[in-house]
Amino acid sequence: MRAMVIDDSRAMRMILKRIVTKLNFEAVEAGDGQEAMDRLAELTEVPELALIDWNMPNMNGLEFVTKVRADPRLREMTLVMVTTESEQSQIVRALAAGAHEYVIKPFTEGAMIEKLALLGLVPTGANS
Amino acid sequence: MSVEVEVNESDLAEMVEQVWESYLDPEGISPLIPTYDENQPSEVHSSVSITGSWSGHVVFASSRAAAQRAAAAFLAMELDEVSEEDISDTLGELANIVGGNVKAMLPSGAQLSLPQVVLAPESSARYPNATRISGVYGIWEEEPVSISMWHSSADTKEEGE
Repeated sequence: MRAMVIDDSRAMRMILKRIVTKLNFEAVEAGDGQEAMDRLAELTEVPELALIDWNMPNMNGLEFVTKVRADPRLREMTLVMVTTESEQSQIVRALAAGAHEYVIKPFTEGAMIEKLALLGLVPTGANS
Repeated sequence: MSVEVEVNESDLAEMVEQVWESYLDPEGISPLIPTYDENQPSEVHSSVSITGSWSGHVVFASSRAAAQRAAAAFLAMELDEVSEEDISDTLGELANIVGGNVKAMLPSGAQLSLPQVVLAPESSARYPNATRISGVYGIWEEEPVSISMWHSSADTKEEGE
């Protein structure tokens, strides 16, 4: 399986990449929403999962989710917002735009794995 | 006009504890030990600005050794593998995470800036018309670390216009 990690923080991309790689995902990185769209246009296989920061230059996470949802080719991709934007109204906006789940920074590795298990992307108990 | 908001030390301490538990001390063996000394020295700092319903800054400051250890812990590297870019990225993300959580406690309508990192002491920074209103000051693995919150009195400018 393939996962796309989209965050303008290289440090956060490294953390997320480390977690998904441990779960047997092949990780692809992008520094913002626009770079992610460009990478997706190049890829022959669409990643099963995208982990998306909200606050990013060029194209933010919410704009990225909206664009992905408008593209039939990307319809099967599971979208998880990984962000410090923890206001209820922001969460509702992201889910309404088409995100499947939401993880608030800071998060532990275990919490992230549990969230992916809830989405059926990794086996339940992968955290143990 | 900016509204009056108090994010107190206990709120900040809770956020900081979550950051340590998630990234810097997942095993629970090296917590940040409070010193309550707001004048403790720093060698590097990072900040994010909040504007809108509340205006101000959240600043993460530490010794260079603590920043290097933070980067090593954050990125699962050995200390001697950590580069200048790793330190800069980690400091920026730490300010971003704490700032984002502070923003969530403010009335809606606040915006968070992208982080700024300066590899120089916090005392070298100038935040015009801003006052330090809260902070967590401590020692992490014998090195100084602080997370502080600064409120900008934007009203002064408005009155002068």
